[in-house]
This record gives sequence, structure tokens and C-alpha cells, in this order.
Amino acid sequence: MNYFFSNRIIENQEVQSIILLILGILVFASVLFFIMGKIYPGNKVRELQRRTKSWWIMATVFILATILHPVISFIAFALLSFAGLRELASISKNIRPEDRRVIIWCYVAIPIQYFLAYKGFFNFFIIFIPVIMFIWIPFILVIRGFTVEIGRSMSVLPAQLMFTVFSISHLAYLLSLPELSGFNAGGRGLLLFVVFLTEMNDVFQFTWGKLFGRHKIIEKISPNKTWEGFIGGLVTTIVVAYLIRFLTPFHTFESLIAGAIIAVGGFIGDVIVSAIKRDIGLKDTGNLIPGHGGILDRIDSLAIAAPSFFYFVYNLYYA
Amino acid sequence: MRWLLIILFYKVFVQLFLRIIGVKWIGIKNFHVPPPYIIVSNHNSHLDTMSIMAALPIKQLIKTHPVAAADYFGKTSFTRFLSRYVLNAILINRNRKEGDPSPMEIMIRFLDMGHGLVLFPEGSRGEPEELQVFQKGIGALLSRRPEIPYIPIFMKGMGRVLPKGEKLLVPFDSYLAIGPKCYAKQHEVTLIVKEVEESVRLQREFLLHLLNP
Repeated sequence: MNYFFSNRIIENQEVQSIILLILGILVFASVLFFIMGKIYPGNKVRELQRRTKSWWIMATVFILATILHPVISFIAFALLSFAGLRELASISKNIRPEDRRVIIWCYVAIPIQYFLAYKGFFNFFIIFIPVIMFIWIPFILVIRGFTVEIGRSMSVLPAQLMFTVFSISHLAYLLSLPELSGFNAGGRGLLLFVVFLTEMNDVFQFTWGKLFGRHKIIEKISPNKTWEGFIGGLVTTIVVAYLIRFLTPFHTFESLIAGAIIAVGGFIGDVIVSAIKRDIGLKDTGNLIPGHGGILDRIDSLAIAAPSFFYFVYNLYYA
Repeated sequence: MRWLLIILFYKVFVQLFLRIIGVKWIGIKNFHVPPPYIIVSNHNSHLDTMSIMAALPIKQLIKTHPVAAADYFGKTSFTRFLSRYVLNAILINRNRKEGDPSPMEIMIRFLDMGHGLVLFPEGSRGEPEELQVFQKGIGALLSRRPEIPYIPIFMKGMGRVLPKGEKLLVPFDSYLAIGPKCYAKQHEVTLIVKEVEESVRLQREFLLHLLNP
């Protein structure tokens, strides 16, 4: 069994309790929305039920990534990046037909980036995509020789790599962080902390916005987002970050800052993907097709929240 | 033995491979039609046949045959073996000699045996996402066997994953919109061809609307 499960999880009280908490919340939400659906059937409840379903999937993926063997977790995160990049490259208007072969290089960067994360080669890990691929992709584009609108491809392809691969790989790197004395939960605790808070922040912003939302925050991009939702989400996320700080080595004040970073980062990631979708005429929310796709919708908040949180904790405790 | 090989190939390897590349099937339950039937689709890529076959229910898989050109897929004994034992294809001679059975007769024989066919009436692989004029074969088949249903499919994105003349496969999201079975209402060959073309075009509009509401 030890080949598949990470052996430290069994005696890790902190991680166990947060997993139970997540499952508890999901069971509660499912039962609540099921009963609500019986009493007030309608589109809004169905939307909530649909969201709960996708949270179940996300929670299962991340809990498994936490308790299974690290190699399986790294592969899972790499596949998440791959599916995200594939979706972003597929819907993008800014990739020319001639760039088809160059995109292969973007895909090749995924296993390399996750290998660096797995091995814990930090210095190489942080420059591979922002520096090396940032030079390599334009160079390959130049060698291919199609110069019409080449500048667009030169900027879009590295940006897509940053958003789907570089960002998400920081979640995986959390598992490669060295152990700190007196801090039991380790990288797994940090991983659960950032993912749980990012997802909860989405929920809080949505709920506060639905309850009290009056003033639009960026109407042109995301008509459903309000100041009330954003601030309510921010405050609630900070409170929850304080409550579950046992997953982290943080002191009280640090946990509050971490909560704020995740809430703001999650919001930024969310509206960036909304803007990209708006550009190509897709709706703000929802899957392209029921039961399919929608990977970007799932990772948008994490794409900004994860690296922001990572550098916060890294510079405080691991640098 | 041959069945096992075909099922293993399509349901395990091809299915996993296509999922990784990003193929998405919409309306897959429309495939639950007892053979004989004719599956009709636009054609942009070598992946087209595989994406249709991999989505068929196991029971129907062994009774469904892609129709392929013998001068292309039957060149060497290896590709002939592959076509028969792995792809479950029927090879048809486009430029046949005297005395060879006509392609129409071969296809009718399979339909009468209660098998299904996969046809690409555009002929060869066309420009991505553009529908070309359908060839007459499908009309001739349906006019001789009007009781046999056809299943219209429109595919989008395959031409980007593996276009004509390219050897390097690049993953992109691609979609198959599978429509409900239809029966030919007309009797004249050219009118049936028009009708089938219209059903495929309907799937195209449905898919484009779904992707870009």
C-alpha cells in the first residue's frame, strides 16, 4: 500500500481534520441544495447543484492528490496544466494556424516544469517558463519564418504557458518543500490550505454577492461581480484562513495576510479568464458543454492565488 | 480473436488517446441504434474514423465498418492487416478493374448482413470546418435501402489536431456532434444527397451554437 499512499498521511492529524471538514461541507451543501431543490425548484437551485457537483470533483481530485503518493500527485497536477493549456490554446483567437507546430513546444514544457518541481530544483523551476521558454518560443517562431503578426504569437504563447503551467506547478512544488521542525502538516497542509481557501473564496464571493450585491465592480467583464461580494469574500476568507492556520507554520498575523492574498489573487485570476472568454464571445460562467471542459473555469482563481501564496510562504519560511 | 483485438484497440487505446488529445463527444446516446445503419460525417482528419468508432457501444463496434479506399489503405500487406484486424474497415477500390464487385454492391451486402457503415460523403479530407459538396454514393445507397437509418455527425477541431498532409499531432479541444438517426424521405438520388447534407449541416449549426451561444 505504501507504494500508492504517502505514509505520513496516516499519522497527520491536521491534514486529516481538514479533509473531514471539506467532506462535511460538501455533504452539507449537497443535502441543503437537494432539499432546497425539492421545496423551491428552479434554475437558481439547479445552478447551485451543478456547482456543488463540480466542487465534489475538485475536492476529490485535490484530496487524492494530497493523500496519494507524490509521484501520482505530480502527474495529476501536470495533467491539470495540460488540460488547461489545451483549452486556452483551443479557444484563443490570437494563435495563428502557422503556430500549430510551435504549440508542441508549449506542451513539452509541461513535463519539464513538473520534473523540476518534483526534484525541487527551485532556481531552475522559477526561471524555466518565465525566462527560458519566454526566449525559446519566440525563437522557434522566428525559425518557422511566418512573420505576419508574429508579435501576437510571441506574446500570447508564453502568456498562456505562464497562466496554465507555471502558475499551477506551484501547487505541486508545495509538496517538494523541505520539512520544517515543529510544523507537522508540511507541504500537503499548505496545498490543502491554498486550494481550500481559493475554492471557499469563490463560494463566499458568490454568496455575498447574491445576498447583498449592489455595486458592480467591473461591469464590462463580469456583470455578476460586486463590491459587496468581493469584500464579503475577502473578510470571510481571512477569517477562515485564521481558523485553519494549523495547516501552516503561520502566526496569527501571517495567516490573515495569507487569507487576503488568496482572496485577492483568486479574484484577479477569475476576472482575467472572464475577460479572455469575453474577448472570444463566450459567456462569463459555466461549462462550454454540460459535463465537459470548463477546466479553465476551475483553475482560473488558483492560477493567480497559488503562485502568490507560494512566494509568500516561501519567502517567510523556506528562503 | 479479431473481435477482441478490435474492442481492445478502440475501447481502450484509442479512447484514452483521444481523450488526452481533447476529443469531446456530444449526443453520444444517439449511437444506440441497432445496426444496420449508415454513419455520415464530414471529414478533416485521419482521427475522424477513430473518434467515431471509439464512441460506439461495444456490441455495435464489431458490426460497424469504416469504408476506406483500397488504393490508400491497402497499399501494403501491413496496412491491409491493420485495416481488417484492427480498424474493422472495408476496403473499396476507387478505380476498379473489369470483373471486380462494385463498391456499391459490397456496401449493400454488408448492410443486408445487418452491419453498419461509416461513410465520409465529402470524399477526401477537406478544409477544416467547411462542408464540401457530398458525393452521390450515400444517395444511391439510401435510395436502394430506404428502410436503413443514417446518423449525421459534424466534427470540429480535428482538422487542427491532425490536418491533411501533416504528420505531427498537436492536442486541441475538438468536438463531435452526433445527431439522432434519420430516414431518407426523398426517393431520387440527388435529393437524398441534399437531405443528408442538410442533416449534417444542422449538426454543424447545433455545435457552433453550443460552443458560442
